[in-house]
Amino acid sequence: MSKYLLIVLAPLFGSMIAGFFGRLLGNRLASLVTIAGMSVSALLAIITFFEIAVGNGDPVRQEVWSWIVSGEFRVSFGLLIDRLTAVMLIVVSGISTLIHIYSMGYMAEDPDQPRFFSYLSLFTFAMLMLVTGDSFLQLFFGWEGVGLASYLLIGFWFKKESACNAAIKAFLVNRVGDFGFALGIFTIYQVFHTLDYATVFRMAGTGQYPQTVDFLFWGPVHTMTLICLLLFIGAMGKSAQFILHTWLPDAMEGPTPVSALIHAATMVTAGVFMVCRASPLFELSETALTVVTVIGAITAFFAATVGLVQNDIKRVIAYSTCSQLGYMFFAAGVSAYSAAIFHLMTHAFFKALLFLSAGAVIHSMHHEQDMRKMGGLRKKIPITYTVMMIGTLALTGFPFLAGFYSKDAILEAAYAAHSTAGTFAWTLGMIGAVLTTFYSFRLIFMTFHGRPADHHSYDHAHESPWVMLGPLMVLAVGALFAGMLGESMTHLGWFKSAIFLAPGHDAMEHAHHVSAWVKWSPFLMFLIGLGMAWLLYVRMPELPGIIAGHYRATHRFLLNAWYFDRLYDRLFVQPAKLIGEGLWLTGDAKIVDGCVNGVANLCQRWAEQLRSLQTGYVYHYAFAMLIGVLVLMSLYT
Amino acid sequence: MSLHHFLILGAILFTTGVFGIFLNRRNVIIILMSIELILLSVNINFVAFSHYNNDVTGQIFTFFVLAVAAAEAAIGLAILVAFFRNRATIDVERIDTLKG
Amino acid sequence: MAVQLPEMNLVLLSPEILLSLVAMGLLLMSAWSGKESRGLIGTMALSGIVLAAVVLAGLSSATPSATMGGHFIDDRLARAMKWLLLIATALPLLMSREYLNQHGLDSGEYYVLTITSLIGAMAMVSAGSFLLLYLGLELMSLSIYVLAAYQRDQLQSTEAGLKYFILGSLASGILLYGTSLVYGATGTTLFTAVANAIKTAEHVSPVLVLGAVLVIIGISFKVAAAPFHMWAPDVYEGAPTSVTAFIAVMPKVAAFTAFFRVLLEAFSALHVHWAPMLQLLAVLTLAVGSLGAIAQSNIKRLLAYSSIGHVGFLLIGLTTGSQLGHQSVVFYLANYIFMSVGAFCLVLVLNRQGIGDQISDYAGLAKKRPLLAFLMSMFMFSMAGIPPLAGFIAKLYVLMAAVKAGLLTLAVISVIFAAIGAFYYLRIVKIIYFDVAEQPFDMEVSLSHQIVLAISALIVLVVGIFPGKLLDWSLASVQSLL
Repeated sequence: MSKYLLIVLAPLFGSMIAGFFGRLLGNRLASLVTIAGMSVSALLAIITFFEIAVGNGDPVRQEVWSWIVSGEFRVSFGLLIDRLTAVMLIVVSGISTLIHIYSMGYMAEDPDQPRFFSYLSLFTFAMLMLVTGDSFLQLFFGWEGVGLASYLLIGFWFKKESACNAAIKAFLVNRVGDFGFALGIFTIYQVFHTLDYATVFRMAGTGQYPQTVDFLFWGPVHTMTLICLLLFIGAMGKSAQFILHTWLPDAMEGPTPVSALIHAATMVTAGVFMVCRASPLFELSETALTVVTVIGAITAFFAATVGLVQNDIKRVIAYSTCSQLGYMFFAAGVSAYSAAIFHLMTHAFFKALLFLSAGAVIHSMHHEQDMRKMGGLRKKIPITYTVMMIGTLALTGFPFLAGFYSKDAILEAAYAAHSTAGTFAWTLGMIGAVLTTFYSFRLIFMTFHGRPADHHSYDHAHESPWVMLGPLMVLAVGALFAGMLGESMTHLGWFKSAIFLAPGHDAMEHAHHVSAWVKWSPFLMFLIGLGMAWLLYVRMPELPGIIAGHYRATHRFLLNAWYFDRLYDRLFVQPAKLIGEGLWLTGDAKIVDGCVNGVANLCQRWAEQLRSLQTGYVYHYAFAMLIGVLVLMSLYT
Repeated sequence: MSLHHFLILGAILFTTGVFGIFLNRRNVIIILMSIELILLSVNINFVAFSHYNNDVTGQIFTFFVLAVAAAEAAIGLAILVAFFRNRATIDVERIDTLKG
Repeated sequence: MAVQLPEMNLVLLSPEILLSLVAMGLLLMSAWSGKESRGLIGTMALSGIVLAAVVLAGLSSATPSATMGGHFIDDRLARAMKWLLLIATALPLLMSREYLNQHGLDSGEYYVLTITSLIGAMAMVSAGSFLLLYLGLELMSLSIYVLAAYQRDQLQSTEAGLKYFILGSLASGILLYGTSLVYGATGTTLFTAVANAIKTAEHVSPVLVLGAVLVIIGISFKVAAAPFHMWAPDVYEGAPTSVTAFIAVMPKVAAFTAFFRVLLEAFSALHVHWAPMLQLLAVLTLAVGSLGAIAQSNIKRLLAYSSIGHVGFLLIGLTTGSQLGHQSVVFYLANYIFMSVGAFCLVLVLNRQGIGDQISDYAGLAKKRPLLAFLMSMFMFSMAGIPPLAGFIAKLYVLMAAVKAGLLTLAVISVIFAAIGAFYYLRIVKIIYFDVAEQPFDMEVSLSHQIVLAISALIVLVVGIFPGKLLDWSLASVQSLL
């Protein structure tokens, strides 16, 4: 077994052992087994990273096994490790390992730990399959795998009704996306007759494919645009982009480590990864790129506005994630794929850090998530406060921390794209930067500064155990230095053949040469946001209430996330329920049940008749044979 | 005497044998005889074809069929005896415990 | 008339010769030695089969050829099918020994008859002429008639034997009559010569076609294709369970190879005549197999209908007349052996201590013996064609072959009947898992049963996930056809 394969399989082994023998092993051993599997994976991922990304190793392609090879019918699984994958590997394996360790502390009181760790490792396996795949089929396998694991983990506390509902919602919304994604993959197969990355990209590059295809009832449409838009619908679902974003905030019903791993650092970034991986296709369709840019920009702005007014500490971070994913997408949309991946990596560190710190806060507050009931925690849990501050500064783009490099790269690229969509994205991105800083510090101020709102909880607040603080510190180091160390990623050609740029798509190159005011304006945005947050939540804490009272409609509009949930409820859920009830009462009860039972009864009746033919008399059997002989003789001679 | 005469004789014997199997509802021995009849009709066919085709294979085949027929009769009778011990009858209509 | 003997390459017949020697030796042993050596005879019979496998493996280096004046063919198909035959004999024999012991059937003749039927089947798959085909068929059938009636103090067993004998003799009479007509029309009994005669003839004589139809009917009886299937449920139910397990698999392999030989080597030019006929048989067989099983309460009877349903699928693969279809038949047969053996082995394991063959006896098995229940449901799922088990891939390939050959209607019909068939397989799973346990299920699973179950389960699972090797092997074995 090659070491690359072991990176992928080690979590699976851990998951299987913990899952099947969890009761035998007990909580402690089960979690340790999965952590061991993850550590192996992470260690090998680091080695691989140094070989491929830091060293100048060539991309690795390995065929792992052929599932079905027979004639033209061929299904095989393989690994593709280039610099893009190497970055993803280190993000997924590394952060997953830290979160496994953190969960030992966070989930210490949960009776179902083996199940939890088994799911968590299963998720990591699927995510690693997703990033290491060498074909769209494997991508799809991983894609569905992470979706399944996410569903299982959101609903981990399945006795809680809201958790079950959230899980179902996530599943359904993702289904919409996955439907588009699957259609996209079908179209790729129809056009290229293969799902293998290398072949598809080569053929796309040389234009060996029909330029238009018939899609459903639309008649001929531009092939690449169709494929890319369908794939992007999948990405919108998985990465919670505008229109298909509604599941992500609700997904916070899952345990906090799950939110950190799946709904911040890794799974939700799968869409970004996919767009970058499929850059040879996206680059060929200006329309698709524009759509990606616009949707990304809208998400970045929209989610940030909603984050302004949320009171649940995890929901703020969830909307923040949504917003940051928007940044990544519009970076990809202006062909700044390297900036998107760079931000994906830094974001994984500081967002996991923020979530886990929030988890530590929740843990210390005995599972209280409402920020209005917190306050002044700075003195009680100083370590958590410190790391969370580092995370916040990294997110908001404080100079020389992770976000400063990656978010600036994205904004500069959008500015340098000099296209309508690029400028649109840059404008919304700038406003988003102010809002990001504002809600992030609002969170900090409401939670850690001021006076404690609930003295009982405050008095019992305690610092988390070291098994939780350890991973936080590692992530804090990442949030501090990932930007500085990873900046070379944005240089032209760092990703080698993994990312393809069409001629003229040089936003990334120009981004390094934009004028100084463009470079420093994000920092200005940071200062404005920080100042406003300080003014509203430290200097004059009564002001937010007054403003909210004044602009009640706006406040409610934001609080309810632009009423998307209600809109979807009216538009889809209620009609679906009505149709469902109608169908159930008339269609199902009468027609379908009638048909199904009718068929079943018919079969039963035929079976009885057949049985009665089987009389047991030899001469009847011989007679049946004779009839058969006579019929066949008369028919076929 | 032409080939057809032999073939018609064979066909008559074959049909008699086949009908003997399911028209007879009395005695299993008659079924055994019917089976012999079928095999004999085949032999007549083979010998007739062999003669008129001037090819010896058919006659060789006949010997094999005769040998197999002997074995078949022996086995059939043996099974019938075993059945008779259990059921105390060889009525075809009484071979009816297995059905449905 | 001077008679010239054809060349005889006895080396090619060495597995059959070896098995004949073993059978005769065992017959002598069982006649001369007392009761104490019975266990030894079983062991020797099994080792004889293993030895034959070794010889067969050694033979595989010899170039495929025909001998005995073309009556005996030793090609890749014959060798592949002989492997399947040896497996389909050895596994049922291995798992039957305790059953035989308990029911007082453990006499030497049982093993002798098993081996003689195996020799007959091996002759069938190597047959290059109607003569050897008939002799092999009779040797196989006559031995099996006796085996079915082997529990001679039991009415049901003797009745099964008698029914099987009467109907089987009728069927071989029909086959033989057809053979005589083919011989009359072409003047030969060798398959290749028959094919040549058909090709060189100006027009296809009705006598020949009639003969072909009768020959096909004769073989259809052996595979229990409807409407020549009616013996199967009765014989499966009445015969001792160990024999049922044997006749559910071994004769099917031999008869389908006979189909290959007759249809593709002798009557390939008559494809237009036999293909629609087999399609009609396939539809009837599928219908009988899936509908007939629904009303059954006896597991052996149900498995009889289940095997009829499988035969329907195999016939579809056969009628396509394409290499993919033939490959799918061999692949299906190979998987069918293990699914069926596995299921029957569980029936044997559970058939103790007052637990009969009623399906309702298995109620609640899962609560007492989860592993056995799991295995049983695995075999049932595989037979129903549910992925990722071997039965799924087998059905998939048959359907693929049918669709590629343009037999879309047939494919759709088969899917519908497979869905109906899935119902009764799932019913067993439901009874095992959800009904209240009434039996103690405290039997021990002996080592030989463990071995057979492990092999079958492993194959069903592994082939379901990695079918590549077996598919390649199936393809290689049918490449000499057409």
